[in-house]
Amino acid sequence: MSGLDTSLWRAVSVFRWLTLVYVSVVNVIDLKNVDHPLTAVLLTLGMLLWTVISTVAYARPELRQWPLLVVDLAVAVAMVLSTRLVEPASRVAHGEPTFPQMWVAAALLAWAVYWQRRGGLTAAGVLAAADLADRGAVTAETTKGIVLLLLVGAVVGYVAGLARRAEAAFQEAVRIQAATEERERLSRRIHDGVLQVLALVQRRGSELGGEAAELSRLAGEQEHSLRGLVAYVPEQVAEGGQVDLRERLGATQSGPHVHLAAPATAVLIGAHQAVELVAAVGAAVQNVRRHVAEDADAWVLLEDEGDMVVVTVRDDGPGIAPGRLEAAAAEGRLGVAQSVCGRLRDLGGSASVTSRPGEGTEVELRVPR
Amino acid sequence: MSPAEPTATVLVVDDHPMWRAAVERDLAAAGLDVVGTASDGEMAVRVAAAVRPDVVVMDLQLPRQSGVAATRQIIEARPETRVLVLSASGEQHDVLEAVKAGATGYLVKSASAAELADAVRRTAAGEASFTSGLAGLLLGEYRRLATTPAPDPGPRLSDRETEVLRLVAKGLTAKQVASRLVLSHRTVQNHVQNAMQKLQVHNRAGLVRYAIEAGLDEG
Repeated sequence: MSGLDTSLWRAVSVFRWLTLVYVSVVNVIDLKNVDHPLTAVLLTLGMLLWTVISTVAYARPELRQWPLLVVDLAVAVAMVLSTRLVEPASRVAHGEPTFPQMWVAAALLAWAVYWQRRGGLTAAGVLAAADLADRGAVTAETTKGIVLLLLVGAVVGYVAGLARRAEAAFQEAVRIQAATEERERLSRRIHDGVLQVLALVQRRGSELGGEAAELSRLAGEQEHSLRGLVAYVPEQVAEGGQVDLRERLGATQSGPHVHLAAPATAVLIGAHQAVELVAAVGAAVQNVRRHVAEDADAWVLLEDEGDMVVVTVRDDGPGIAPGRLEAAAAEGRLGVAQSVCGRLRDLGGSASVTSRPGEGTEVELRVPR
Repeated sequence: MSPAEPTATVLVVDDHPMWRAAVERDLAAAGLDVVGTASDGEMAVRVAAAVRPDVVVMDLQLPRQSGVAATRQIIEARPETRVLVLSASGEQHDVLEAVKAGATGYLVKSASAAELADAVRRTAAGEASFTSGLAGLLLGEYRRLATTPAPDPGPRLSDRETEVLRLVAKGLTAKQVASRLVLSHRTVQNHVQNAMQKLQVHNRAGLVRYAIEAGLDEG
């Protein structure tokens, strides 16, 4: 943020100095035509003084607060009103420029940078009012000046806001890129080291048995969750709000006892369908845990049939005897089938449960694209 | 293992020294003959040419040339070599590429020592050693080939092959598949092997075609 802010405020100060030089030169040339040359010189020195003070103040981020901006605008208004002290009233009313001329626009720019479009318009309104009060009449020239002030306030305010948002977006992109690179670096290191050792501990431990088997189980779980952690990439939403179902299933259905089989290429599906389908798969896997064993294996097969996505969840449990499924459904206590079937029906798909005693149970979920 | 059968010779390729040592020890303990080890892809190709192993146990994430490229070169140099991929989960794309390059088996690193020794033995005997994950990858690849418009139609799975692969992908063992479909164990193996070989042939033909086209363009 600070890079852009510093540049914007510096631009305001540069504008203030350039206009000061221009206005000073014009006023010195004009000195013989004014009523009070001494006042003109003093006021010019006043403008110089405020230009110096404001340049120093705006360069310090902690001073860039509303009091400074209010004082800035007040000085500008005072300068506009001081025109009367210098020039004959007749000249002012004729539409001669005010004494500080466009130097006051620096305060307007400051407001536009700080409060964006609203600030720019407000400052323009205040300066326009001061201008009118000074002249006491509306002429073609003053109208033009006021319109210009309002335009500058609105445009600069809008652009300042736009630039801030663009910089915020850019910073976010840089941050994400840095985070991704860091994650990849970490992931490589972890893959080469920690994961290999954990996998090794798991393997040796299970062979040794006894207490080592418990250590093996723990190492295996940690390996799995660590792998999931380093493999996680920020959700990629493809065109049309589609997500890769493989990633979703991989992220939610990972564990030492869940075996996911999927194509090597992305299986894209609507984000809403993905959420529902992943939930249905989760319920089916949960059901395996409950009805077969806490550490029973579950196989999840994801297939892309073009117009249809098919997910099958299978276990190697004792299976369900013919008729028992229907009986349970009839009694209204087939929790999983109901929650799974309900979700699938809502997606316009279908769910079917097949089972034979001794051959495990298969839940097939079909969702149309 | 019957005494009449000669001991299979094995080359172990893994960049992690602890893993390499553990795999080597487990295979030796199971009565297999580890004739060499390699810690990167280039070394794997060189050592394979020197020791001519029956089976290469190949990790995929290797420094200096990937496991996929090493697999391709090893099989090109000596087609009777069998490559068994032993890899971490979550490298699906690489596993599929390794199969296309000629690997005939895939085992995840979380497999036990007994499973590994068994897979190496079966690979040495010419059987495809296969997990549900690999079957899922193959099914996906055939479907992708079937839907990708191309000048030549590419390989297709027969209905029976699809049926077998789907059952394997759902976690059924070869024995369970055989009994479910009322086939012999050997026939199930043949279906799985056909499915892999068709992809390999297609891949090789693609590479040759690419080489010819590149050559013609130069001329």
